[in-house]
This record gives sequence, structure tokens and C-alpha cells, in this order.
Amino acid sequence: MDAPHNTPRPGADEAPRGPGADEAMGGLSADEALRATGVTIREAGSGDAVAGVMPRWVALPESTEEVAALMRVSAGHDLAVVPVGGGTRLHWGNPPERCDLLVDTCCLNEIPEHASGDLVVRVQAGVTMESLAETLAARGQELALDVPVGGSTVGGVLATAVAGPRRLRYGTARDLLIGITVVLADGTIARSGGKVVKNVAGYDLGKLFTGSYGTLGIITEAVFRLHPITPARRWITAGLPAPRTAATGSEGSGSPVGPGTVEGSGFPVSPRAVSVALAASQAEPSAVELDWLAPSGVLTVSALVEGVAAEGRAAAVRDLLGGTAGESGTTGESGEWPVGSYGVAEGDKAPDWWGVLPGEEVLLELRVPPSGVDGALRAVARRGLPARVRGSLASAVLQVALPPEIGGPELAAFVSGVRGDVGPLGGRLTVLAAPPEQAAPVDRWGPVGALPLMRRVKERFDPDRRMSPGRLAGGI
Amino acid sequence: MALNELVRRVAGVLPAGAVITDPVRLRTYECDGLTHHRVVPGVVVLPESAEQIAAVVRLCNEYGVPFVARGAGTGLSGGALPRTDGVLIVTSKMRRILRVDLENRRAVVEPGVTNLAITEAVREHGYYYAPDPSSQQVCTIGGNVAENSGGAHCLKYGFTVNHVLALEIVTPDGDIVTLDADDPGYDLLGAFVGSEGTLGITTGVTVRLSRTPETVTTLLAAFENIEQGGQAVSAIIGGGIVPAAIEMMDALAIAAAEAAVACGYPAGAGAVLIVELDGPEAEVAHQFAEVERLCRDSGAFELRTAAGPQERAAIWKGRKSAFAAVGRISPAYIVQDGVVPRTALPNVLASIDRLSAEHGIRVANVFHAGDGNLHPLVLFDDAEPGAEERAGLVSGRILDLCIEHGGSITGEHGVGVDKSRYMPKMFTDDDLDTMQLVRCAFDPRGLSNPGKVFPTPRLCGEVPGVRRGVHPLVESGRAEQF
Amino acid sequence: MDPELINDCVHCGFCLPTCPTYVLWGEEMDSPRGRIHLMRQHVEGTPLTDEMAGHFDACLGCMACVTACPSGVRYDRLIEQTRAEVEREHVREPGDRALRELVFQLFPYPRRLRAMRLPLRLSAGLRRRIAPRLERINPSLAAMADLAPESAGRPRLPRRVRAIGRRRAVVGMLTGCVQGEFFPQVNAATARVLAMEGCEVVIPPSQGCCGALSLHSGRPEQAGRFARRTVAAFERAGVDTVVVNAAGCGSTMKEYAEILDGEWAERARAIRTVDLAEYLVELGPVARRHPLPLTVAYHDACHLAHAQGVRSQPRALLTAIPGLELREIAESAICCGSAGTYNLFQPEAARELGERKAERVLATGADLLVSANPGCTMQITSAIRRAGTAPIRVAHTAQVLDASLRGTERIA
Repeated sequence: MDAPHNTPRPGADEAPRGPGADEAMGGLSADEALRATGVTIREAGSGDAVAGVMPRWVALPESTEEVAALMRVSAGHDLAVVPVGGGTRLHWGNPPERCDLLVDTCCLNEIPEHASGDLVVRVQAGVTMESLAETLAARGQELALDVPVGGSTVGGVLATAVAGPRRLRYGTARDLLIGITVVLADGTIARSGGKVVKNVAGYDLGKLFTGSYGTLGIITEAVFRLHPITPARRWITAGLPAPRTAATGSEGSGSPVGPGTVEGSGFPVSPRAVSVALAASQAEPSAVELDWLAPSGVLTVSALVEGVAAEGRAAAVRDLLGGTAGESGTTGESGEWPVGSYGVAEGDKAPDWWGVLPGEEVLLELRVPPSGVDGALRAVARRGLPARVRGSLASAVLQVALPPEIGGPELAAFVSGVRGDVGPLGGRLTVLAAPPEQAAPVDRWGPVGALPLMRRVKERFDPDRRMSPGRLAGGI
Repeated sequence: MALNELVRRVAGVLPAGAVITDPVRLRTYECDGLTHHRVVPGVVVLPESAEQIAAVVRLCNEYGVPFVARGAGTGLSGGALPRTDGVLIVTSKMRRILRVDLENRRAVVEPGVTNLAITEAVREHGYYYAPDPSSQQVCTIGGNVAENSGGAHCLKYGFTVNHVLALEIVTPDGDIVTLDADDPGYDLLGAFVGSEGTLGITTGVTVRLSRTPETVTTLLAAFENIEQGGQAVSAIIGGGIVPAAIEMMDALAIAAAEAAVACGYPAGAGAVLIVELDGPEAEVAHQFAEVERLCRDSGAFELRTAAGPQERAAIWKGRKSAFAAVGRISPAYIVQDGVVPRTALPNVLASIDRLSAEHGIRVANVFHAGDGNLHPLVLFDDAEPGAEERAGLVSGRILDLCIEHGGSITGEHGVGVDKSRYMPKMFTDDDLDTMQLVRCAFDPRGLSNPGKVFPTPRLCGEVPGVRRGVHPLVESGRAEQF
Repeated sequence: MDPELINDCVHCGFCLPTCPTYVLWGEEMDSPRGRIHLMRQHVEGTPLTDEMAGHFDACLGCMACVTACPSGVRYDRLIEQTRAEVEREHVREPGDRALRELVFQLFPYPRRLRAMRLPLRLSAGLRRRIAPRLERINPSLAAMADLAPESAGRPRLPRRVRAIGRRRAVVGMLTGCVQGEFFPQVNAATARVLAMEGCEVVIPPSQGCCGALSLHSGRPEQAGRFARRTVAAFERAGVDTVVVNAAGCGSTMKEYAEILDGEWAERARAIRTVDLAEYLVELGPVARRHPLPLTVAYHDACHLAHAQGVRSQPRALLTAIPGLELREIAESAICCGSAGTYNLFQPEAARELGERKAERVLATGADLLVSANPGCTMQITSAIRRAGTAPIRVAHTAQVLDASLRGTERIA
């Protein structure tokens, strides 16, 4: 477990390096063949487990070609491969059915090209988002993708399709990715897209690999479109009164509504109404985030405005949020302003929960059309568990963290209960992370309409099921 | 023949009059907006629902007959070019806006709805559909999805793929499937958009609606030459401003527009730049002052600002009419569509100039300067012997230039049949084989718009990357080339 | 069909959404682009089939495509040439042929039309009873009966109307066939408005049909005859400007120099045809506008908006009336289906378009529908009547101006 990186296994033969290594492969064992690629290989330790599954080797390639060499060996020896970047979300998704080789992209850590005049960057998959941001900031630019976990790599961010608060304005990884290089299960190196933002030549493999959890191949390089760093940022944060629910643990009965509460919402001030008003506001917030400890905590809403005139626009958002501070809510279903709220604060610092996942071990993601936000929050509250809900209120993509010690059946009940409630609202709940034993009785992904097509894609890209097998929905 | 039998069966699943077999009528469907590729379809069908399309596609599968989808037929790469041995499925009768949901900022529409019709349906409520290809009043949303259409404003707002939340598609084997942006796993929605009809047919689109910006300011800047204009573009982008649009026209393009619509651009301009800023009033006011200053610093000799929608329309008029207007200064022309990194623009424009002089072929330049998307209009006289060939050569060389500078052979018109031969210049065999894997996953029999996008016929059973002789499946008659 | 004109079409499709038949049916052959393609096929040797002729016949000739075309394709000329070709080459069904004969022997002749007006001028009640039967016998006859407006007194127009106040101009005035017979009050209003704005109005009694119906239906010879006669009539009247209040007539007269040859073309060029609204805006107002507290929906007649490009002028004149609120009709560029003789020859399509237009007119909630073409007015009111909704009042731009200038709220 403490095997130091870059140390070849004692006793392993020095294998031929570079071109021609393939030919030397004949008759070699998998171990020998891997080492024969010239890529740094080490024995896996317990710290390398992928959602509880131990690989045998860890490879540390330094180039796309090295990844390709590893994949060719893996193909020849039927090795199951899982790529890993920062390892921050390796516990997300299903455990792989098997895992022989972990391909650690940490050494793919170059930024070969930052074409600032073109607002484009080409970056290797192992570069962390922090170091990318640092490089870009030196020339006043940024990748407008907030990643909720420190230490994430570019490849990991793409493979898990995570995004943060500013998804409202800039979209997610798939919207900012303009080119990609991948290595397929058989070692084929393929690129799509390019270095220009506007480009419709050929299929967009980048989209396919976004959210692929390593099941199609290994992302080795990406090209992103960039944005200038905005000259000013203001956060406007307000508390909304806690829902007047009797926080009982009993199923289906946790939403009594007292006088003065919004009809059918359970919230004195409807988060949905706040979200609708802010999203439609000409102040154009870049993000509108929610933080709430269900079932009975005060809701905190925070909006970000960016730009030269951020201050003036922040005032407009403040007026919107705090227009009738202290009064009880008066918003009807139509969502028209004003809503009431508690105190409003404004500043150039984000609240400390901003863009941070609400939890690590048992983490779910709830998506609904924005009109279903109240219903979705109520669905969480109704389960009576202390759930931390956080995420984009305006985009209605929320992460839900449950207590790490939650039991499997309890988790399953939570998931099926919330799914039952949000389904009719057009919503969906997925389990991003949960320890295998707790997640066993749970369908992590819920129904996925396009699953048969995804399976067919998987079969074409990885017919031998060697790329992170089983990590995704439907055993993909 | 399979097609005749198919036609008989198709008539049974479609409403009366929805199957066209009369040869004179069929010929009117022989091309889309790109007229130098013409193929008369075997049969044209005009279905009215996803179920009807699915039924037609299933019949195509039963008889092994290829099919091609078509919306308004405005594409500029021959993407909707029919097949003589196939069915042309036209969605022009599916043009209902099924639902407008302002609270969720989305609308659900049928594929034959025009791009502009969506905006018109929601404009009074303060919303619009952001992608705005120049043909927006006629092109259909189904076609936009197939081509991943952009428009003048995609610099700031992105393309169709960034504004589609869900798609209902008929897969090449005839299933009706929903691709949803919220689905976990592979972004099949994103992969489908821009696949030019080769992965199936769009039968329903959920689009994102955007809030109409608080304010829009449009500026027309006239420069003595294109270099100064280019310098202004660099200065604006370098200054951290992302305008909604930056468009540039050169002297020849200005002359054409002037001849067609008397747009009244400043006399003597060697280049005009249209810069549009939108957003919150305070932001725009600040940026506008900055843009004005940068234009002047770059040598603009005249600046005009549109005060209202009418003046804005007047500024855009010349730009929007530019393509068709070129017909007034030249008997024939080729509209090219290529992309280069913005910083390579000066180099590439100079090279185009040289090409033009070398071959005696005039080239008018109209382009989305903000994102390096060139639309050179290669002018020639089709009555002059050899002129068309030389124009074709210049046009092709421009694409080579784009590839050499790390750009793309198409920014928005698509590959279609017209540019499939350039794909191997832009991508390696491995890249193309990998794309082919996607194709094979969706369409193993290769019936959906075959012959488009990809240059080489390839078998889905074939192992990518390894080229052999005749495939055993073909040899044994169990599979066909497509 | 001039191949040069056909070649101007680059197949961009910008015409599609403006074409009424494409709006109805969504089929390429029934769009301007498709029809031009059919013309090309014919020019290249494909014989004129029944199908082909049917698609040409289905064109309303509204010219919305001409407005929309960025390449400047002269579809107006093309369809005129094509219709002539169809008339020459194509053998129609006997019933169709008879109806066409009837229309062309009737409508362009004011006196014959006057004789016919009586039987067509049925009371509303009688019309309702007779309509279904007529519909069964022949939809076109039903359409004719349905469209004939309620009768109005027919004021006689003098040969010359003197200018009120200082004389600013002398102009001729076309009375038109359908306008003159079915809507004489519009002509009276036109003459009064011109006079009140300081024009001496010359109305030659010898004038007849301008030739529009024939020209738009593939009868160039008949059209040429009418055109020459009209030119001669105004020459004799000694005017060099002719004001026209009917959109279809105005657009045809503006084309005289193109449809006539040689000396006649020269003579046609010497007379300037101008639409009433176009002329009044150009002239500028002198008469006082009295308030009219009305909400008005203005309908663009195709032959005014598309064929003559007159859109802003009528709107400007209307909005200059104090108290008058102007409302736009959705899809204003789409034809109402009247299109000259179209509602007689293609009654089903015309009816569908009429209903579409009526719906959008009613949606404006206006008190009054204003248009500059008698055909449109008839078409839209009959669609509203069929829909069984409360009828909307209709008027010509001239009548509204007349009421305002005279200071009466009653629109005559």
C-alpha cells in the first residue's frame, strides 16, 4: 500500500523501450509485457482500490503514446483497465467488475498550449484543475468550470461530468470542451474536435466521453474554450425561513403546512419562486446556489454576479432577494415576485459552502426541471433524514449528502421514496457515491431511457469489456 | 424491386397524399441548398408524427433500403442529398410547437418548426431561442440539430448543442428513444447533435429558451483595410470582452451587399466590422465605450451606433444579405465555410489574397471574426471555360489553409457529401475509424443517410484500424458495403 | 419561361415560409423554390404534366416570395410567363375551362359585372341557405356567391373633382372593376381625400379594366389590350400621374412598361402609377386630421406590400390620425387567399388561408380591419362570417382617412 511511485518491482527485468517494444511482446507474461512498454509500472497497494476492487498494477504513463502502448498490452493479455486521475471520485459509480491495471494519469501533466489570443487551452488529462487555473490566470483567463472537489484532474472532471455553480451561465464540461484525445481499449489513439470553438466536422467524441466513467477508453488530452476572468464578482446571500414541517421520520407524512406557508410548497418562501425570479432577472447572475440541511434547516440562497458592473447588478439581485425582508412569503404558483426572506448579505467573497460538495461518502444527485424544485426539496424533507442539500438552485441540479453511517435498506428507502416523488415532476435521482455494501440494495442510476443505445456504444468501443467494466448504469 | 414493394407498404402507414412517387414532383427534392449535388430520391414521404417516421424506418430496415431525413432543404453541404435507391423522409409537415414552458425556460417542438418560429412564439414574454443561423426564418430545428447550427451570435451563446435539453429520435432501426441531457452516462444527446442524420432522425426537440437581454448595442466600424479590422477584433477579445457577435466583411463583400440591398455602409471602407454587445445595461455601456475606443485605436475612420431595432436591422442588413447578394456581382460563386484560430486570421486572409491573385479568381470575404469562422465567397463566371475548376481549386485550397492552421473544414455548414473527401486531411484513419464505431453502434446496417460525413465505405463488422481485402462478411454475402 | 430568370434562383429556400401554399401543405412542389424547379424541368424538356400545371395553378401570385428573396429572383415575371405557357399548352378539364372563361369574360368588364351583381347580391339569410347547395354543385360558384359583399349605394363619380384649398397637384384616378362595382364608396372616399389634400382629381369615364386579372392568370394578350386602353384613357385625360387605390391594379399598372412593347412601352412609361397611400405620404398632409377613437388592424394586401413594397405608408397615414390605435396582424406577410381570381379557381386552399387570416385578424381584438384591396376585404369578411364569429367592420385606408379628414366618426 505504501509502494512508492516510479519504483519498478524488484527483480523485474529491464524490458526493451520505445518503438519496437510491441514486437518483443510475444511470449511475455502480462507483467513482463507491461514493463516492456517502458512505462513506469508499480504493484498496486490497498490505496489504489477502485470502489473496493484492488488492481494488480498501477501504470504511470507520460504520454498519449505510452497510454496506447499500455492499452495494446492490456488487449493482448485481457487486462481490465481503470483510468484514474486525482482519485478524488474513484469511489463514485459502481465498483468495476474487475480491475487488473490502474492507469494513473498523474504524469500526463503538461499544458502544451495556451493560445490566449484564441481563448483556447490544450491540456493533458492529468493536470489538476487548480494548476490549470493558475496557468490560465497568469494571462487573465479561466476555464469557467467550477469543480467541487480539490485535486481533480482534467480527465477525471470529464469522465465524471462534474460541474459547479456557474453551470447556469457557462454550462458544464461538455459545453466547454472543444477537442479531445482518447486511447481506446485496443490502443487506438483517436482525436475529435480541434483547437477552434466553432467546428462541426465529424462526430464529437468529447461528448461521448463526458460522463463515461472510464468505460469507453482513456482520456489523455483535452482542448477547452476559455473565458476572460471577470474584473469583479459579488455574492449576494440570503436566508430563507425553514420549512414548517414536523420533522418526523415517518414516511409520507412529513409535510404538514401551517398557515402563512406557500400553498403546496411547505416552504414559507418558495425556493422555486426565488429561483425563477433570479434566473429571469436582467441582472444575469452567473450562479444561484442553495445550501440547506433538510428536513428543517434554514435555507441559504446565494447568487453570484460577475462583470465590470457587478456592484450595480448585485444591488438589483439584493433588491430581488430582500425586497420584502422579514415579511412572510406572498408568492403564488405563478412565481411572481416578491418573496419574503431573512437578512441579505453581500460581498466579494463566496460563502464558505459555495461550490463544495455537501458530503463525500454517501452522495446523491437530484435533478428536476426548475419548476419542480419545491417538490424535490419536499421529497427530501419528507424522508426525515438529516440530508445536506446543496447545488444549483437555478439549474435545479442539487447534490444531497446523507449521513455516512446510513444503512443499506435506509438508503434504498430514501432513494426509492425520493424517486417516487420527483419522477412525476420530471426529476431524477442518482447515487453518485455510496460504499458498495450500503449501495448493494440500491439501483444507483434509476431508469435511463437511452441505456440500450449506451450499451451498443460500449459494445463497439470495448467489445471485450475491459474498460472499467460495470462502472456505469446497466452494468456498462 | 425492394423499393417498389416498400413504397406500397409505406402508403399503408402514412396518411393519404404523404407518399410522393410522381417523377416530376420527386425531382423538386433532388437537392438541398447546395445545388451542385443532385440526386432524385426513390420516393419522398411526408410523415406527420414520430410513430409514422418510426414505421417508415422499420420498413426501410425490413427491405434494407437507405433513408435520408430532410427539413426545409436549406443545408449547404448536401447533407440532405437523397438516394435514388432510398426514401427521403421530409419533416416539413411536423411543425407544431407542442409546449412552451417559460418557468422551466424550455419549449418542446416538432422537428419541422423553423428556428425563428420558436423565438417568435416566446418573444412577447421576454425570451428567445439563442442559436440564430442566417437562414433562421426558414431552416428547421430538426436540421439545426443534425448540423449543430450556430449563427452570428454563437461566439457568446454557443451552438445548437448548447441549447437542446432533450431529443426524441427514431433510431436507424426504428425505435423511438429519448436522449436527455440529464441522463447519466455517455452524452449521447451531445453526440447525436451534429451527426448530420447519420445516427437517426430527430422527431422532437426540447430547446432551452434564453432571456432576452436587457439591452443590445450594435456598432458598425469602418476601416481602410481588413488588417485594421482584424487588429480591432484581437484588441476587443484580448481586452476581455466577449461580444454577442463580431462580424467582418471585406471591400468586395461590401460592394455586393451595397448592390443588393443598398445597405449604406461608409463609403471607401476596405472592411467593416459589426460588433454587437448585449446583456445587463451597465455592463454593455462599459464595454461599448471600450469597444469604441479599441476600434478607433485600430484605425476605424467611421463608427455608427444603432439606436434602436430599426437601425440595428439596417446595420445587419448588409451582412445578412451578403451571401445571396454576391449573385449580383458575379454570375456564379461558391460559399466556403472554414475555421481558423482567430489569431491566424491575418495570415490566412493574406494567403487567400495570394491564392486569389494567383488563379485570377476573386474572393469576397465575409466572416464571423470572433470565432475565426471564414465564409470566403469564391466568385467565377460559369460561362468562362475553366473558371469553375479554378474556383473549385481556390475553394479547396482555402480549406487546406484552415487545416494547416489548426482549424476546421467546417464551422457550421457541415460535412455532408460536399466535404467528406476532406475528412482524411483533418483526421487520421484511426480518428475516423473511431467515429465509425459510434456510427456502427447506432446504425449497424448503415441505412441512415449513408454516404455523408465519412469518405470511405466501411463495414461495421470490420476491426477498426486494420485494413484488409474484401471482408469475409461481404464475400459470403451476409453484409453489404455502405 | 426565361432560363436566365430561372438561373437566378440559388435554391436557398428563404421563400418557403412566406409562401401561402407551403405554409398550408409543407410540400416542396408547392413552394416558390419548387415551382421554379418545375419551370426549370419544363424548360429542360419535361412536358407540362397535369401535376406540374396543378402546382403552378396553386400559386396565389401573392409575391411574398419576391420580397423574401435575397437573390432578387423575378418570380413575378416567371409565374406570369409560366401561366401563359400553361394556358397555351395545357388542356384543362372542361368544367375548369368553362369557369375560367366565365370569370375572364365577366370580371374585367364593369358593365357585365354590374349585370351580374344582382344575382350574386343575395341577402345574408338567403346566402346561408343557398350556400351548402352551391357548395355541392361547384365550390367555385359557392365561393363567388360567398364573396359578393353586401350592396352599397353606388355614388356616381364626376369626371373631375376640384382641389379643396390651394391646388397642389393634378392626378388621374383609376376606378377599377371590382373596386368600382362592389366598393364604389371606396372610390368616392379616395377622390374626396385627394381633393381635401389639395389634388385636382381627373376620373376618365372611358377607363376600363387595367388588365391585372388577365395578366395574373396567363392571358397576356387580353392583359395587353386592357393595358393599352388604360394608357390611352389617361393620356386623353391629360394626366401624368395616376393614383390607384386597389393594390392589384396598382402593381399591374406599374408593370405596364414591361408587359407592353415598343411605342406602347414608352407611352406607359410616361405615366406614373402610384398607390394612394404612397402618394399621400409623398405629398405630405395639409388637411386637418380629426380624431377617430378606433383600434385598427391593418392588413397588408400582397400586391401592395410585396408587389409594390408599400408597407410603411398606410401605417404612417393611419397612425397619424389622433386617437387611432394601430395593431399588427400576426403572419402579416402571408396572403389571405384572395389573390385576384384565386379564390374562384382554388376555393379550398383559398378558404383555408382565409380562415387562417381571419383567426389572426380577430386575435388583434381590433374594431376595424383596414386593407387596400377589395379582394382581401371580401375574402377576410367572408371567412369571418363562415366562422360564425361576430363580424368585424372593414374599410379601405381611403375611407378611414376620409372620415378623419371630414371629422366624422362614420366611415362611409
